[in-house]
Amino acid sequence: MEFLNFVLMFVVALLLARRRSHERLAFRLLVASVLLMVALFAIATRTALLPGVNY
Amino acid sequence: MRRDLLYTVLALAVLALTVAPLGGAVFLLGFVYGDSPCVMCWEQRAGMAIIALIGLVILRHGPRPKYIGLAVLVAAWGLFMGLRHVGMHAARDIGQGFSIEILGAHTYTWAVLIFWIAVVLMGALLLLMRESDAAGTPPAMQPLGRLALAVYLVVTAGNIVQAFASTGPPPFMGQGDPVRFSFNPQHWVWSLEEWSPAPVSLRGRWAAEKPGYAGLATDPAKGPLANLPVLAVRERKMLALPIRGTATDLAYDAATDRFLLTTGNGVYIADGSMSRVLRSTVVDPGYSIDLGRFAGAAFLDSRTVMAAGENKSYVILTERDRPDADRNFRYFLESFEAFDEDRRSRLGTVRARMMYTMSLAFDPVASSLYTVTVPNTQTKRLVISRFDRSDLTLSEEYSPALDPASGLQTAGPQRSLHELYVTGATVADGRLYAVSAAYSTLIAVDLTTHRVVAAHAIPGLERPAGLAIRGNDLYIVGEGGSVSIVGKPGG
Repeated sequence: MEFLNFVLMFVVALLLARRRSHERLAFRLLVASVLLMVALFAIATRTALLPGVNY
Repeated sequence: MRRDLLYTVLALAVLALTVAPLGGAVFLLGFVYGDSPCVMCWEQRAGMAIIALIGLVILRHGPRPKYIGLAVLVAAWGLFMGLRHVGMHAARDIGQGFSIEILGAHTYTWAVLIFWIAVVLMGALLLLMRESDAAGTPPAMQPLGRLALAVYLVVTAGNIVQAFASTGPPPFMGQGDPVRFSFNPQHWVWSLEEWSPAPVSLRGRWAAEKPGYAGLATDPAKGPLANLPVLAVRERKMLALPIRGTATDLAYDAATDRFLLTTGNGVYIADGSMSRVLRSTVVDPGYSIDLGRFAGAAFLDSRTVMAAGENKSYVILTERDRPDADRNFRYFLESFEAFDEDRRSRLGTVRARMMYTMSLAFDPVASSLYTVTVPNTQTKRLVISRFDRSDLTLSEEYSPALDPASGLQTAGPQRSLHELYVTGATVADGRLYAVSAAYSTLIAVDLTTHRVVAAHAIPGLERPAGLAIRGNDLYIVGEGGSVSIVGKPGG
């Protein structure tokens, strides 16, 4: 899944470099990348979502 | 700040973020040293890459509010990810980190710093940006910006390669303990372990509930030990002392024939007949170290007492002829002239970690203090911890076993001493006597062999909160103020 996320980022960077007019698509892919990162971290830490320390 | 200068600073920041943490992580740590990020490191790396990418988007399309907003959100999430990761390792012993150490700090610690710098830099740039720069057509990308974009593409391509080798294509994802990176496919491990079912929790094993009596079964016949002999209550009376709150522990000093009684944060010294309070105070639990609610009390000598909270934090109070009332104002909520506070600190444990305690006992012969754990929903172990009086540091810790010579047996193969809920303890004759509020059971632990040498049922106990020994009698104080007196087994 991390592979997919970096591919998304690479595509966004390519759009910035080569397709300036595709700003909306680039932003949507960027948001998808952010959501994927958040989801993967949440999945990885689902047994203790908060830092394991005293509060 | 001039617009071109602002964009130059932003391009430099993107370049720095892309080259140092992102490029260094993949090309140097990954491809040269074989380091593979764990799943959390991967997401922190992705967060940094996204922030750099948003910087490039701004360089290309201008500082639109949605880009700035997204960058702030990602940096905030990155800080959280870093803190979550640091929280797993930060409290371990010196040097005990995870994965590679760089300049004295492990990678997850650097992640916190990098995200923090990103937040600070974003704030500074926004502060210096003119309002007119936020609108209008952005300038053409400067050479530095184009360089940053080119470097970003190269670094991201490197990350794609490493991510494919280390984590695999979807649905495979990063691992908690990844194997060393290699370009050789024979060494690639693609895992679905993170997709396996697991309970969802906010705090995991840290979500241990505070100790208490609610829900405890009290019938000794249903306890973990079979066929226990009964220890009859010889006398029962109610405390008539003017104390605030409910009793939480009891101790006795034979030299002065006085009892020590604690409540939530009150410390009371009473006469031997338990009819008069001779000295008392209420400790401010929130001043300095959080003492929580007192659950254990002990005389360290005839003039020094110790009260321990459920959280194993403690305070040591000394009776003096002329206490410094002005100094004591900070420590106590009332009665500033009853004691001096000499020390407030915490008892550190290993096996008993992540469990609360509701007892404290002092053995003057061994010059040691003892605590006994109570189980919680996350951790269920009966652990006795010994702390040397000289430095109040953990000196011994174990889970007692049944002494084969005692004739004691568990009530079934699934039953164990870990079910006991010890709320009071005292030491005499080399034995630790501990009363369990669950199943109204009294156990005696040989402090040399670490074995339970005797156990008795005491039917009729009402929420036992403390245990003290006076001669051959055991005094069990109940939370509601009842005092049950039983003969010491074998006494």
